[in-house]
Amino acid sequence: MDPKITELSQLFERFKAAFVRKDFDTCAKFLSQLKVALTEFKSLPPLFEETPNAIQERTLARDIYEHAVFLSVKIEDQEALERDFFQLKPYYTDTHGLQPSTQEQPILGLNLLRLLVQNRIAEFHTELELLPSSALENPCIKHAIELEQSFMEGAYNRVLSARQTVPHETYVYFMDLLAKTVRDEIAGCSEKAYDSLSINDARQMLLFSSDQDLVKYIEEEHPEWEIRNGFVFFQRAKESTPCKEIPSLQLINQTLSYARELERIV
Amino acid sequence: MAENSPKKVIETLAFSFFQIQSYLNRLFLSIPDLKEITALIEVGAYAREVRRIVRAIRWMIQLRRNLKASVLSAFLNYVLVPGSELHSCLYSYLPKEDEQDMELDTTTSATQAPAKHSLPELEIYCCLLVLIFLIDQKRYGEAKACSSTSIARLKNLNRRTVDVLSSRLYFYYSLSYELTGDLAEIRGNLLALHRTATLRHDELGQETLLNLLLRNYLHYNLYDQAEKLRSKAPRFEAHSNQQFCRYLFYLGKIRTIQLEYTDAKESLLQAARKAPDAALGFRVQCNKWAVIVRLLLGEIPERTIFMQKGMEKALMPYFELTNAVRIGDLELFKTVADKFSSTFSSDRTDNLIVRLRHNVIRTGLRNISISYSQISLADVSKKLRLDSPNPVADAESIVAKAIRDGAIDATLYHANGWMVSKETGDIYSTNEPQVAFNSRIAFCLNMHNEAERALRFPPNSHKEKESAEKRRERQQQEQELAKHIAEDDDDEF
Repeated sequence: MDPKITELSQLFERFKAAFVRKDFDTCAKFLSQLKVALTEFKSLPPLFEETPNAIQERTLARDIYEHAVFLSVKIEDQEALERDFFQLKPYYTDTHGLQPSTQEQPILGLNLLRLLVQNRIAEFHTELELLPSSALENPCIKHAIELEQSFMEGAYNRVLSARQTVPHETYVYFMDLLAKTVRDEIAGCSEKAYDSLSINDARQMLLFSSDQDLVKYIEEEHPEWEIRNGFVFFQRAKESTPCKEIPSLQLINQTLSYARELERIV
Repeated sequence: MAENSPKKVIETLAFSFFQIQSYLNRLFLSIPDLKEITALIEVGAYAREVRRIVRAIRWMIQLRRNLKASVLSAFLNYVLVPGSELHSCLYSYLPKEDEQDMELDTTTSATQAPAKHSLPELEIYCCLLVLIFLIDQKRYGEAKACSSTSIARLKNLNRRTVDVLSSRLYFYYSLSYELTGDLAEIRGNLLALHRTATLRHDELGQETLLNLLLRNYLHYNLYDQAEKLRSKAPRFEAHSNQQFCRYLFYLGKIRTIQLEYTDAKESLLQAARKAPDAALGFRVQCNKWAVIVRLLLGEIPERTIFMQKGMEKALMPYFELTNAVRIGDLELFKTVADKFSSTFSSDRTDNLIVRLRHNVIRTGLRNISISYSQISLADVSKKLRLDSPNPVADAESIVAKAIRDGAIDATLYHANGWMVSKETGDIYSTNEPQVAFNSRIAFCLNMHNEAERALRFPPNSHKEKESAEKRRERQQQEQELAKHIAEDDDDEF
């Protein structure tokens, strides 16, 4: 075997050992060394040259990037996750003779989940279009798709219960982030939909474990809600009699534009 | 006997003569036409008037059906120098005919004094002709090879008059690769050609190539890259109506996937409207996507859209889908989606259909809220047929979100599990009609302005002083131009 490849695989083994030990700092150090070493290989994207050890090099590089993705989830760095995923993507799309990786589907699902949490729904759907319909049956990806649907429909309790059925343990981080977003959404919806809620119900819906947490949350995020007699009142009285103002500026603008266009007609 | 009377014999003989004559006519009707086309191209090339070449191409498209190998070989003999490389290359693609036709061929060609100009325009025109012939005969492999050689020839030419021909050539090049399933191979070539066209300020070529590249990306679902290309490519006034329609269609598709439904609807509807009547398949596709985008926006398309001439069968699955969404019934929606799933996946709209589920629920909810002043959430979930482990809680959150988004006007009472609808006010006392009128007025004014800008005038008309003769000639040309613009609709690209 090529001495460079042997060196690289040894470094990779040390990286994996540190990962299992949960020693993330050493992992990060090893990872940067690995990435620098990888730039010396010509068989990797974007060059994709056919050297004699091409397949080996590419499989090794792909494993390294997959582990990098999992590492970035563990250290909770979303930007690193995005970068590593983009570097990993060419290995999945232009395979050039590689065996399909077992980690491919969980990682694709992880990326979809990340886009969902960051509320980048347009990119979520663009990524979805790239997947073949067979991939949509895979549990990891199906999980992300169903999550997006429930989110769009507003069935937030389904989103929260999906936390129990995670297909892969790396998803737990994103589910926690999602729970926070969901809580904000529920608060916004309840504000408009209900006149008042009892403290117990509010606590249940917003998923707090105790009344103090609920009170603190309301004080921080929604100071306009009132708490009286064990009920939370949402401010809805102000929309009873809106005075009908004529939006004069808009009307003036519109009429002027009509006059201008009509004058242009010869 | 009556059957053998001389009159009958003469009649039958005359009839068969007539048949042979018309057969021969059909065989050779094309050659004089092709010669006229050649003359047009030559005049256009020498006078550098692109319009004549455009007219020549339009004529040729009409003759497409009459092209036969014998006609083509005779034509090639006429136009190109027989020994030249291009001639032998193109000649090899044509099948060898039987003896009779060859004899007739040689007699006609011997009677002319062929003028071998070998204008580059004529050479490219011959390449185009052979390419179209091969594609019509479904010999796609050979078409691929032919188009690649033609593209190689084009690299050295830099004349505006060739632009019109070369844009058609690019189109057939891409088509031949697409029909053999190898579109990804030519992506690099198309990008290089686009670069060259931009350098040479070949606007028609740029437009065509941009559309071909977008088509290439969208074929493989690479919406991200398509959007990146489209946003960075230089844009200008459309030179060709057909290319503009295509561009609008691809733009609409990209916007739909990116969830920008309003822009998408505008583009798709415009593409469907601008497309010529003969382009039925294209308009059907535009309408399919437009229907889905309107459903996703929450509006129900009218029944007349589905009843347009020639489109009823193709749009039938979408009609049933619209019905399901209009009623707001999830079960019906699911059955329709399953029933026509093959159609939807071949149209690549299946992911969009999945997104429609949300709209079905919204419409159902809206119907319930209008019909009931007060209804329990358990009943709501039963009516919406939400199949989930915890329907009441689901229904509650869905209704809450709908209220927040402004889709329905109601209040929830959590303790009793009720939904109480509010009275809908009088809409004419608000600003709504004004806003709706304004959007319609703006649209009409825009259309008027665009029509004015699209008026075409012949170039250099202000430079010469007109004598009576020239004025007559100009008027005649204008009439012809108007006639050809009217015929533009029949142009099959």
